[in-house]
Amino acid sequence: MTILEVKSLKKIYTTRFGGNQVQALSNVSFSVEQGEYVAIMGESGSGKTTLLNILAALDQPTSGQVLLDGQSLSGISEKELAAFRRKNLGFVFQEFNLLDTFSIRDNILLPLVLSNTSVSEMEKRLQPVVQQLGIASLLNKYPYEISGGQKQRTAVARAIITNPRLILADEPTGALDSRSTDDLLQVFQNINSMGQTILMVTHSTKAASHANRVLFIKDGEVFHQIYRGGCTNEQMYQKIANTLTILATGGDKK
Amino acid sequence: MSCGFYIKMALTNIRKNARLYLPQMLTGAGLTAMFYILVTLSMDERLHEVRGGSYLPTIMPLGTVVVAILSAILVLYTNSFLMKQRKREFGLYTVLGLEKRHVGRILFWESALSCLGAIFGGVLLGILLYKLCALLICRILRVDSILGFYHVSLTSIIPTLLFFLLVYLAAFILNRIQIARLNPVELLQSTHTGEKEPRIKWVLLVIGLLSLGAGYFLAVTTESPLLAINLFFLAALLVILGTYCLFVTGSIALLKFLKNRKTFYYHPRHMISVSGLLYRMKQNAMGLASISILATMVLVMISTTVSMYAGVEETLIRQYPHDFYISAGYETETEAHKEIPLDDISKIMHQAAEASNLEISGEFQEIYFSCAFNRKNNNVFGTDRTENISEIVECFFVTADEYQQMTSTEVKLNKHQIAIFSSDTGSHVFSAGDTLTIGEQTYTCAEKLSSFPINMTAYSMVNCYGIVVSDEDTFTEILNLQKKDYGNAASDTSHHLVLDFADEKAMEKVYDQFVDEFSSGIRSYVDAQPDSTGGYGTSVDSLWDTMDYLYGMYGTLLFLGLILTLVFLFATALIIYYKQISEGYEDRERFQIMQKVGMSSDEVRGTIRSQILLVFFLPLLVAALHMAVAFPMLTKLLKILFLSDQMLFFWCTVASLGVFAVIYVVIYSMTARVYYRIVE
Repeated sequence: MTILEVKSLKKIYTTRFGGNQVQALSNVSFSVEQGEYVAIMGESGSGKTTLLNILAALDQPTSGQVLLDGQSLSGISEKELAAFRRKNLGFVFQEFNLLDTFSIRDNILLPLVLSNTSVSEMEKRLQPVVQQLGIASLLNKYPYEISGGQKQRTAVARAIITNPRLILADEPTGALDSRSTDDLLQVFQNINSMGQTILMVTHSTKAASHANRVLFIKDGEVFHQIYRGGCTNEQMYQKIANTLTILATGGDKK
Repeated sequence: MSCGFYIKMALTNIRKNARLYLPQMLTGAGLTAMFYILVTLSMDERLHEVRGGSYLPTIMPLGTVVVAILSAILVLYTNSFLMKQRKREFGLYTVLGLEKRHVGRILFWESALSCLGAIFGGVLLGILLYKLCALLICRILRVDSILGFYHVSLTSIIPTLLFFLLVYLAAFILNRIQIARLNPVELLQSTHTGEKEPRIKWVLLVIGLLSLGAGYFLAVTTESPLLAINLFFLAALLVILGTYCLFVTGSIALLKFLKNRKTFYYHPRHMISVSGLLYRMKQNAMGLASISILATMVLVMISTTVSMYAGVEETLIRQYPHDFYISAGYETETEAHKEIPLDDISKIMHQAAEASNLEISGEFQEIYFSCAFNRKNNNVFGTDRTENISEIVECFFVTADEYQQMTSTEVKLNKHQIAIFSSDTGSHVFSAGDTLTIGEQTYTCAEKLSSFPINMTAYSMVNCYGIVVSDEDTFTEILNLQKKDYGNAASDTSHHLVLDFADEKAMEKVYDQFVDEFSSGIRSYVDAQPDSTGGYGTSVDSLWDTMDYLYGMYGTLLFLGLILTLVFLFATALIIYYKQISEGYEDRERFQIMQKVGMSSDEVRGTIRSQILLVFFLPLLVAALHMAVAFPMLTKLLKILFLSDQMLFFWCTVASLGVFAVIYVVIYSMTARVYYRIVE
């Protein structure tokens, strides 16, 4: 079953002064199936972040369509969009984006609180999630009291507690050391194996090597994609590295 | 690099940072203008010569000092805030290769330009507004305006310029020191160290609750006006202490309590507000408490001055059942003060009235003596100082004959019978048949009087008895008894000629002429006396003298009250504005995160609104509460100042609170708009 369908997405930014036009996305189409773990790779300026913002309904495409569960994101009011985001999407960011004024517990519960979930329901959902991510002992601490890896796991907990249709991760390992990176990628693999659909944007080969499928974006277009097939993470890593070399040395897609 | 470069750069910076600079410059100009106006008012001799204007040179310098202190604090405060916001920018300059002395030069020109703009703008504003203020003062003092032209006074411009230049110079020196200590690397890295969640300080909480409770208790329960004078200061101190303690720790206790109530806390708006406030309170509690206290002080100041001023007429009516009280005496070889017979004074007064075209409509001679009396022991004149003040009454004794002369009503009294009037409405109301023991003698109350011809309001802080005794002998007996008890402090009989004039308004116009007239009358009377040595003295207590005194005094106080209220509003507005801006920059990040997690911008707006509303209006609410509790005590204090119209004071208080709230709301909406623009 297709969960996310992106159809010929185009995004043109007009600079505020002078009216210069910059094309961030020229024509992006792909789809994500239920339970997939997809990584999107590309260099800085390739349009990754623009794509993610449009998928997250934080930005509007110039043309083209995004369908989540067959439902189009365009034409929904701002208020409904917020509710939609809350219900269907979970976010993990490079900079964690945890609120310093909230304890770890409150940070995780925030999306549930925003959708007016009852207290008993929140408690019920909280425990399994924090057990799974190994942060049950941190619940009463504050973000500035814990390590980067723990912060990112808190962010993951916040993303999955609403049982979203899709998790969007933007460079989730960008601010982590190598050990925390390994831990986090393991966490992603675990939750994916339990059926959670994940879409991750990254330029770390290592992070991408954990995905089932990797899409490469160059100059605002999907340039290439590779599937894991039966590869191990190491083999996948090699495949991605080869593709990146071709991309960098100028293999034109014709 | 040339000077022009720095000036250009400074100008650009001021324009770019208008959000920070503009309020500072406007406030600077406003404060300078007020300072200039107050200095000019204390020196403008044309105003001092008008009726009631003699209080200006004594009261206005006090106001100038208060405004000066407030100005210095405010200018330094806004300056420190500006620097905090701009440190990063200056750090960047040094990274880009400007030396610190170059940055210092840019800063110098920025300070110089903004300060000169504020000061000269302020003086100009002051000159323009001075005429308005002078007109207002004339209006308040109820004299015709004497000022037809703009008054530019160099003697007040110079001190104003000097004072504010000095304040701004101090601010610049502080900034320059900060620049010298600047470490660019530290500044460029945004250091986001989280703060520990504040803890509840239980000891402070208990102290706060106790002192606020004690202060409130004193304010509500103090009955006697004299006690109120003594206790008001104590009560105010207790309430101030309590307010600070409760803001600092009570607010945190309350927020934590709310946080622990899960069903309340886990609600979109509550969660964000409660946790946000919990952190904010730590930095803001002192500021909010100070604003509450200042707001209360302003309300007390403005409501009392307004009602004192508005109550002058009523006070005069109560204090002067008759218009004019006079007695006179002269010096002889043997006596320092020989009373002029009241009949002779009466003749002189009639001549003077005729010369001034005035009609005397009523006249009688007032002969009485008064003394304090301890009600508890019921028969002792000497009052022990440790006694409860509420047991003291002031007694006014007259004989039945004089009473009849004064009121044209007859009271028939046998020996040892009295007729009595009591101002007490509580337990000590006499009725016929009651007894009162004075010395060894017990008197029976034959009649209860509903009024008394002698003016007792001067003693309004204690209860008064007006007592009519049967004859001259009894009168003298009590007088002697009193003299024995009090010794040197005993009071003697007072003799006054009491006059009423037909047309009080006409008298108001020719009063000074009338005074001259009868003074010279008495002068020539004294000169005609064979035993006179030339010295003489008159004692006059008149409605018109007191009217001048009251309007002059209360009018000047009212004007000062208005000015200080304005300065305070400036201060509050500025403090809150800068607070909100700096918090806006901090909050922006938080709200961006929340929007990413799935909060709509409507919800963000709602949350912001409820947070700002609380921070803004909490001090106002607290001030209103303090004011409501202080009301009974203030009423008693005003009673001592002869204002007994409670309703007048009530409405003045309500009106002050209302006007204050309206201005506050305007400041709020302006601040909120800037805040939204930053956050979104």
